[in-house]
Amino acid sequence: MHLLSIRDLVVKFRTRDGTIHAVNGVSLDLDQGETLGLVGESGCGKSVTNLALMRLLPQPAGRIEGGHIVFEGQDLLELDESAMRDLRGKDVAMIFQDPMTSLNPVLRIEEQMVETIRAHRKVSMKDARARAGELLGMVGIPQPEKRLRDYPHQFSGGMRQRVMIAMALALEPKLLIADEPTTALDVTIQAQVLELLSRLAAERDTAVILITHDLGVVAGMTKRINVMYAGFVVEAASTADLFARPRHPYTIGLLHSMPRLDAEPGEPLIPIEGAPPDLRAAPVGCPFAPRCAWALERCWMENPTLAPIDEIGEIVTTGASVTHRVACWNLPTADEAISARPERPDFVAAPPPSAVESAR
Amino acid sequence: MTEQQAMIGSAATAAATPPPARALLEVTDLRMWFPLTSGILIDRHVGDIKAVDGVTLSINKGETLGLVGESGCGKSTVGRTLLRLYKPTGGSIVLDGQPITDIGGAQLRAIRRRMQMIFQDPYASLNPRMTAAGIVSEPMEIHDYLSKSERRERVRYLLKTVGLNPDYGERYPHEFSGGQRQRIGVARALALHPDLIVADEPISALDVSIQAQIINLLERLQGEFGLTYLFIAHDLSVVRHISDRIAVMYLGRLVETASSHELYDRPLHPYSVALLSAVPIPDPKVEERRRRIILTGDVPSPANPPSGCHFHTRCWLRQRLGNPERCAVEAPVLRELETGHHVACHFAEEVEGSPEQKLDLAGSAPVPPAASVPATPPSAPQQP
Repeated sequence: MHLLSIRDLVVKFRTRDGTIHAVNGVSLDLDQGETLGLVGESGCGKSVTNLALMRLLPQPAGRIEGGHIVFEGQDLLELDESAMRDLRGKDVAMIFQDPMTSLNPVLRIEEQMVETIRAHRKVSMKDARARAGELLGMVGIPQPEKRLRDYPHQFSGGMRQRVMIAMALALEPKLLIADEPTTALDVTIQAQVLELLSRLAAERDTAVILITHDLGVVAGMTKRINVMYAGFVVEAASTADLFARPRHPYTIGLLHSMPRLDAEPGEPLIPIEGAPPDLRAAPVGCPFAPRCAWALERCWMENPTLAPIDEIGEIVTTGASVTHRVACWNLPTADEAISARPERPDFVAAPPPSAVESAR
Repeated sequence: MTEQQAMIGSAATAAATPPPARALLEVTDLRMWFPLTSGILIDRHVGDIKAVDGVTLSINKGETLGLVGESGCGKSTVGRTLLRLYKPTGGSIVLDGQPITDIGGAQLRAIRRRMQMIFQDPYASLNPRMTAAGIVSEPMEIHDYLSKSERRERVRYLLKTVGLNPDYGERYPHEFSGGQRQRIGVARALALHPDLIVADEPISALDVSIQAQIINLLERLQGEFGLTYLFIAHDLSVVRHISDRIAVMYLGRLVETASSHELYDRPLHPYSVALLSAVPIPDPKVEERRRRIILTGDVPSPANPPSGCHFHTRCWLRQRLGNPERCAVEAPVLRELETGHHVACHFAEEVEGSPEQKLDLAGSAPVPPAASVPATPPSAPQQP
């Protein structure tokens, strides 16, 4: 049994401007102690998937309209609010991008940490305070006993994120969700925080979902990656496999559109044309078709499902031997993955069906 | 972006020689201090934030100078002071032979035509109540450039140049995506035929897949219009990609300037080395193997910077050398170790050849450019 199993999760936001199709059938598995990267651009549904998991979707607009989220054998969507509150923090903890907005500015760090600990554990004030000091020391904050008396604004950005990590790990959760934990930090501080996060998670055998738009961060931090686009998982593979053999046109595009420190000087960037889709429209066909150089006529009509590249044997959805799966009707070849463009003679991406209609 | 340009750039930084005629912008010992005041009725001057504290650099015509550093290091303040959006506390700025440090009024306005800015946040830097055409046309109206009908024509031309449909001119900013908005910002910057464009983190607010579009656009426009860029960013991979030369800043001072490939191949300042080692690389094999210098502590406050070398409190090299007193006492000056390669570190020679200096990315197979592969694709991963 997996620690976490999400099946066909659908999340929509009902707003005055119409329905936002944020997550359109996401499935993923996670085992104890595993680190999974969720990669995608803003609006791809990576954060919403995890907010749904925590049942923290903004209310009343955000709704889970389908699927199951099974954590340790229990469907979280069937739990009542008090059971859910018990689970948050204790079994599943979350770290957000901006530590300033996730800490209470008018409470000392000590009060916030003690409150978290005592909400879930029957311990004395004194013990909770001692534990809080111990945790601050663990995340590398100098003079932890003294710093407990400080307010959040007295910490720098990197230190605040350390405090968040200390609070998230206070109750030894089985799953830690880190949502862009270092995006607001400078590179040198990012390196500190990532190193801390991966060391602590490994020591405690904590499963981690790392949400980020930065392929460089997931390359060093995760064992497995799911690439998301417009509310769908479009490619899932082990980290090594994904970087060595990217197969989805979107993944290939992402890898080619970022300048790399280790690239040859003067190497041109190959951008992904167009812009991310408007999630107000219900998805028809492959969500990436409008920007895809490999699009076929079929891509505009039918949305491909996440299917294994080599259909031999059982499909493994988690762990080290995870099956490389891609949602694409017209898989780029290995050569095309390197050049980031179709290399087939006379191949032209299929135009949208409406354009064909009007041309006739 | 050619070798030749990079070399011209190197020659220009040789501080001792008189500035060659090609330098578009010469900045000498630029200081920009912001006063710290306290008091209820009367503000008492209690100190200064030395956002920029003695920066000397030059940018040649047609060149891109990348300015990198962490947040709070003063890189944006340098950009704004160059454009004379602030009145510098000290030092001099010379644009194309003309000193602009102290000018004001009509003179300043005339010079501003030649220098434009592209901002980070395309949501905040466009007036939501103006149409795209209005935004692009506004600089021309302010500077009374061209007749009304010519302006309209130029707006259409500019929108087309930056890759927007000229018919979208009547739309408002909220009707565009982030990348399109940034294109409007670029069109506005081009309106008055500037020589110098200061781009302050022009892509960091954009989605990853859009960033490359804007980088490629800026590179194309530079070729088409002979633009000179000061490209300010915190992302070393981006800066390396677009710049001919790079200046690394730490707490208000330059710590290293070099050509882009030289800085990457042979960084000589301990801070540059640490910065390069901290950049995550999208390749798990490299990430697993490379050594990362984890700097301890945070960037100190520019209101109260450390004595001597500003970096000495976090410096890995100083720790290795047994914390020499000199770093804490004497501020290092930029000295030229190699032609065109300036470093402000007393012990830069110790960096040379150290294991830390090597980024150790060898063996990683960066994806080769599409243009160079069609005939012989390099050893492709085997797919059954």
